[in-house]
Amino acid sequence: MRIRRLFKWTRFGIFAVFGLIVLSTSILCIYTVDTELSAEYEVNTQNIAKTIADSSAGILLNQNLATLQSLVDQFLEVQGIRYIYITSETGEFLAHTFVPGIPEEILESEHSNTAPVERSLPGMGDFIEVGSPILAGVAGTVHVGMDLDVVALKIQRAIGQQVYLISVMLVLGVLASIWFVNLAAKPLGELLAYAVELAKDGEKDELGERELLTRDDEVGHLARLFLHVSRQGAGRGLPTSVSGTE
Amino acid sequence: MQSSPGPGAPHRGSWGPLVTRKSVMRSGLAALLVAPFTASSLAAGRGQESGGSDAESSDVAEGRGATDEEIVLGVSAAFSGPSRGLGTELYRGAMAYFNNVNENGGIEGRRVSLKLYDDGYQPDPCVQNTMRLMLEDKVFLLFGYVGTPTVTRVLPILKKFQDENIFLFFPFTGAQPQREPPYGEFAFNLRASYNQETAGLVDNLVQIGRRRIAVFYQIDAYGRSGWAGVRAALASHGERLAGEATYSRGEKFTGSMRKQVEILQGVSPDAVICIGAYAACAAFARDAVDFGLDVPIANLSFVGSENLLKLLTEGQDDAERYTRQLINSQVVPSYEDTSIPAVQEYRDLMTRYDPQVPADLMQEEYAPFPYSFGSLEGFLNAKLMGEILRRLGPNPDRAGLEEAVFSIEDFDLGISERVSFGPDRRQGLQSVYHTVVEDGRFVPLDDWGARFG
Repeated sequence: MRIRRLFKWTRFGIFAVFGLIVLSTSILCIYTVDTELSAEYEVNTQNIAKTIADSSAGILLNQNLATLQSLVDQFLEVQGIRYIYITSETGEFLAHTFVPGIPEEILESEHSNTAPVERSLPGMGDFIEVGSPILAGVAGTVHVGMDLDVVALKIQRAIGQQVYLISVMLVLGVLASIWFVNLAAKPLGELLAYAVELAKDGEKDELGERELLTRDDEVGHLARLFLHVSRQGAGRGLPTSVSGTE
Repeated sequence: MQSSPGPGAPHRGSWGPLVTRKSVMRSGLAALLVAPFTASSLAAGRGQESGGSDAESSDVAEGRGATDEEIVLGVSAAFSGPSRGLGTELYRGAMAYFNNVNENGGIEGRRVSLKLYDDGYQPDPCVQNTMRLMLEDKVFLLFGYVGTPTVTRVLPILKKFQDENIFLFFPFTGAQPQREPPYGEFAFNLRASYNQETAGLVDNLVQIGRRRIAVFYQIDAYGRSGWAGVRAALASHGERLAGEATYSRGEKFTGSMRKQVEILQGVSPDAVICIGAYAACAAFARDAVDFGLDVPIANLSFVGSENLLKLLTEGQDDAERYTRQLINSQVVPSYEDTSIPAVQEYRDLMTRYDPQVPADLMQEEYAPFPYSFGSLEGFLNAKLMGEILRRLGPNPDRAGLEEAVFSIEDFDLGISERVSFGPDRRQGLQSVYHTVVEDGRFVPLDDWGARFG
């Protein structure tokens, strides 16, 4: 006979508690990773824009645009950076990385703006663009576009790894708790079966020789108590081993 | 006279296992960490390990970069990829001259040889090749590099090692960075600049009423250099760029340039100036004709005129439709004009030696031209290089290179223009020539109005 009903709610409770832990941890993790990584990518992009702006001041003043383009090209190798363009103080494009041409949306944008903006460029994707002024803006502005798809992929990957770990822990925790519950349920099942046997054939001698009666735990005590009560009811004396229950 | 492949073997195209990125970066890092003064002693140690003779090692330790038998010039150029024709032609012309020099006793008894590496017209391999040429091969000087994006990245290295007196001679680029501060003092140029080439094109186009000029360019330092030249030339006429379209370096002729053509069609230009390599520029010229952009299309000398023409005409029944609007500017005179002494000499030596790039560098098929503007430029580069090496005297030393170059004054290379150098004059030639295609070959363009007016 198996003890099911007694632990049904226990199992449910364990699932519920673990599920709640996993859910809340995952939500917190997704929020933290998304927020932190997004902020980090934005800061990195801003730093790159600032680095280019600082490096290009002298180059711009010398009107050495080939060197400026070379500088820009090198930063394009940074993962996630999809485009860079440098405009003069009058808004003229002095260097950029667009192929086959500068997108209309960028041509028409406010080039002195350095605040982060999200752009969706046809045929290219979605970007967050940050700017940095060159010589406080009097020599122009550097704009760097970070591919949001790449950022999103990175964030998804980071979140995926965290959630995967938490899920594995959930499964292991639930399996372990089931195992522990079963560990407790098995002797109770035996006790129940024993009690049923006592109720049916309480006078049989062999019922006083079960291994269950030798257990030194609550189940053993209960088994001995059941036997005692059963035999007392039948007018027999208590077995010596039952004394431990009193 | 043989060109020397690198120790082990030279770099092939994709920067394969022969020269590992790590090993070169390690040597580069070591060189940057220790003072330039110690670089030669480090290099000498490696020279012994690679089996160099004692005499060679001691020469390197002294920082001469030349032995009693040989002067080695270091070359990193495009021998693979879509622009391999540029490096190949330039090399062939140079070797035609050096082969002849070596056959006639060399310079002060020393053979002149070239240590070749392939950079595929890519900046990073070029930087790594340069570090290797300087630190491991200990070449006497750098010679005949190809391309602006490559050379632009090498210039800071020359500045870093300026105490070693390593100079770059006659790169195949007309860009400004090696002509201006802060790096101009580390390079010597023979050819006219892109600014001069673009100014020549713009001036002539404007003169015949074609004022709306758009630019199709390679989106890198080379393209930007030409773009800046066109922009400046237009500004001098009170005009602005009518429009622009770009392509990525390494584009092949088989690629489509339709989008670029459509962008430029949108600004209705009177002419388009292309700043690119032959494969992409040929693709653009083809698509411009195919999609109805019927305006003059001008190219700079770097394009590699013969390769461009070959791509546009090979296998075409009506090749003339793709070439009749072409204008190519050149920085050397026509190799067809045998009345020019240097051209005659060049043709004789090219026929006599027919130099080929070493087989282990030629991983991709390339059929060289008997004569080309590129190989003529290589020949003139070598001829002037030979003269400079002669002026160094019997004990060539890098420290004397600048003085030897500055002693070149009114030197007759065998073309109509004479060559002079000085502290404020680090470019030998100033002339730009314009050519158009007729009967399947480039001929001088004398009357712009008649042809394109």
